[in-house]
Amino acid sequence: MAVPEFLQTAELLKQGAEARVYRAEFLGKPAIVKERFPKRYRHPTLDEKLTHRRTTQEVRSILRCRRAGICAPVVYFVDYTSHCIFLEEIIGSSTVRDHIASAQQSDSGTEQKLQQLAERVGQILARMHDEDVIHGDLTTSNMLLRHSQKDGEPELVLIDFGLSYISALPEDKGVDLYVLEKAFLSTHPNTEALFEKLLKSYAASSKKSSAVIKKLDEVRLRGRKRSMVG
Amino acid sequence: MNLTQDLELFPGHRVTQMLFKEVKNAAELRQSAVEGKISGALINPTMLVDPLQVLVAANKAVHLQTIGKMKTRSLYSEIIFNLSPTNNISEAFKRFGISDGDESVMVVVVHKKDEVQLLSDVTARVDGRQVPAEDVSSLSDSAKIKKLYKVAPQEDKCGTLLDAVICRMATKDVM
Ligand SMILES: Nc1ncnc2c1ncn2[C@@H]1O[C@H](COP(=O)(O)OP(=O)(O)OP(=O)(O)O)[C@@H](O)[C@H]1O
Ligand SMILES: [Mg+2]
Repeated sequence: MAVPEFLQTAELLKQGAEARVYRAEFLGKPAIVKERFPKRYRHPTLDEKLTHRRTTQEVRSILRCRRAGICAPVVYFVDYTSHCIFLEEIIGSSTVRDHIASAQQSDSGTEQKLQQLAERVGQILARMHDEDVIHGDLTTSNMLLRHSQKDGEPELVLIDFGLSYISALPEDKGVDLYVLEKAFLSTHPNTEALFEKLLKSYAASSKKSSAVIKKLDEVRLRGRKRSMVG
Repeated sequence: MNLTQDLELFPGHRVTQMLFKEVKNAAELRQSAVEGKISGALINPTMLVDPLQVLVAANKAVHLQTIGKMKTRSLYSEIIFNLSPTNNISEAFKRFGISDGDESVMVVVVHKKDEVQLLSDVTARVDGRQVPAEDVSSLSDSAKIKKLYKVAPQEDKCGTLLDAVICRMATKDVM
């Protein structure tokens, strides 16, 4: 078992509920390794199936996005026996989450920059949905900003496609946006207007956005009713 | 001129790439490879963007050999198969292996640290001029590579041709 031994020497970046994320050198390049480990409470056969599916969905969606010109890390190697994905490390990147949080800390001149960022996120998600990729776990931690040395504009890179799938249904896209809205507003206080900007930009960028936004409104209403009952 | 990289996942294993130009005996080399007399993969360098592409193929080949899941008969044919975007083995050899009239050849050897004899055995067989393996990029036929791997212009927005090629190689078994 080569990969598990290798990971013992790698730097652990994040221990999650489903996966561990490491940093290591691979084929001489800086790389990120995402390891999905067994969940003891699940039946072993079912667990193996689910973990395998997440691993394949993750690499499939990365390739689908990249083909469409939507940035996602390069896949270097996939080990389907230890459920590890070896990815390009996005060097010098920060999560959109950290970016927004620190911009909110500093008091002046960041408002316009944040609006531009929200607009760009809206555009990229519209393009992703136009490719029928449903991310499944849209949060501001699953978006990286690559600060390239060249021109000032950082580049948005989407990550963490383990819950993604392919669907053309406006309902699925609407739910994808709803998940983001929930996560966005709870992670970043007082950003209702900023998120509105994101949605406006999404609506303007996607050919099929009106049906999606309509579904989003329906899902929001359902969510509200549920919370009133429950 | 040799380019050697350790395979981090397989301690002790390393990959050495050797590039030759003005090769006069491609037919003979190919024949020896077919007969299993050369311990190395002979690759058509015009289909390579960068040495990293070979490393990705070699790492995957050693991995599949270790777990007993190779799709071809030997480690070296597996490396050539892994370079191809499709699962058609003869197609892979046609595109990425060498042909009788070829004038340049990339030789790839997987070996242990102390097995330097393997490398000189290969060099001795090639009637050609060795150049730095990194020079492979100057021989690549980008138009042909883009066509074979189906790389569309919009993919430029999120990376290089090398990125596009590596992604397809690494994920082809689930596409
Ligand atoms: N390719 C990459 N380059 C740089 N940093 C990365 C990369 N991939 C992941 N990271 C960092 O690691 C963190 C966690 O990665 P990721 O979101 O893929 O795993 P996760 O959240 O644990 O997965 P899951 O949500 O499936 O449990 C990211 O928020 C990011 O900071
Ligand atoms: Mg995540």
